[in-house]
Amino acid sequence: MEPDKLEGLLIDYIDGKLSTADRQQMELELAQNHEANRLYVQLREILDAISKSDEWEPGKKLRENFEKTLRAEIAAARNAGLGNKQVSFQPVFFRAAAAVALVMVGIAIGFWINKNQQREEDLLALKKEVEATKLIMMSMLDNRQSASQRMMGATVAFKMEKADDQIVQALTKTMNEDPNTNVRLAALEALGKFHQQEHVRKALIASLATQKDPVIQIALIRLMVEMKEKQAVKELLRISTDDEVIPAVKDEAHAGILKLS
Amino acid sequence: MTDEMIMEAVKNGDLQQASLLFERYHKRIFNFLARLASDRELAEDLTQNVFLRMMKYRGSYKEGLKFQSWIYQMARNAFSDHYRAQGTRYSNFVDVEKISDRVQDPQESEEQEQREKLLQRSLALLDTDQRELLVLTRFQHMKYEEVAVIMETTVANIKVKVHRAIAKLREHYFQLEKT
Repeated sequence: MEPDKLEGLLIDYIDGKLSTADRQQMELELAQNHEANRLYVQLREILDAISKSDEWEPGKKLRENFEKTLRAEIAAARNAGLGNKQVSFQPVFFRAAAAVALVMVGIAIGFWINKNQQREEDLLALKKEVEATKLIMMSMLDNRQSASQRMMGATVAFKMEKADDQIVQALTKTMNEDPNTNVRLAALEALGKFHQQEHVRKALIASLATQKDPVIQIALIRLMVEMKEKQAVKELLRISTDDEVIPAVKDEAHAGILKLS
Repeated sequence: MTDEMIMEAVKNGDLQQASLLFERYHKRIFNFLARLASDRELAEDLTQNVFLRMMKYRGSYKEGLKFQSWIYQMARNAFSDHYRAQGTRYSNFVDVEKISDRVQDPQESEEQEQREKLLQRSLALLDTDQRELLVLTRFQHMKYEEVAVIMETTVANIKVKVHRAIAKLREHYFQLEKT
């Protein structure tokens, strides 16, 4: 065997990554080939040395400096946000009438700007609030320990007005993979609310092909009918003839085909 | 909350969340750089620089990108930028004082200590690419798939290169042991 190949196989052998047949062949090689045995001992020693090697601890200064940098960045971001908001107004007085007119215009502009700024700030605050709600909702959906928290996450999603890609992905994942039927059902309900969005429709149809839980299958079929989703007919036909699907789901699929055709 | 969700929040202006990412990653990034540079003090500076980049370039973080890959790519850049800026090349001379961080543990055997130093000196003799690969896959136990994303190459390529790097490390290790 070529030395490079032998060394590669020995590394896989030490890592326990060889198939049974390859492992047996390697053991035979080690018993007969002195050079292979020498390489094995050396590789074993070096890989052992790596695995016993400790993780190093950084000094305290690293954390202190990071915190300092973070504070500076936050302050810089705040200042950048305050920039460009000052309005300068410099009237020129030639005649009293012109002055009055200018002052009036100034007041009007000032009032308008102020109102606009207020609206922008309100919008920004609203956007932040929506973003915060989204983050809370996503972390609830991700809580592996508590089904009730995930349920609440799906309920929060249901109450949202719009769902972006990230929300749709999280809900789809919950609907397809959550171990708890009620949570999956709640995620499906939330997705159903956003069915006008094309990517949601696609996610729902795709899920129909993979769902194994009869409760979810029936709920999905009903939703397809409600959405008048003709693209689901092909999948419904498959379900209605699938021997592994229980009769109640088959009946629902059959009814769905009739309504959608 | 996943790293990606936190990074999205940082990107959207909630900078305070960056401290969560620091908690999760600073030790790993520091160890990665310390093993690469064989210099703890330099590794601390570079780690600091990586987190500064994370905040400064937060706008360039793309949704859907794995945060781990992103931050390790920044760490690699910080490392190579350092040597480029200094106009020097990485030196494979290892000053053991610069890497030894241990508070001497009387329980720890002298032999283990010697082996660790020998290992670091052998590692320093490898090319930077090989050293990176070994630190990520063997010291930090990253999967080949994850390393392939960071290095922007295929899993098969990573596997071949890791095997070559181990073979080279073995050669250096046993040569140094003889001296």
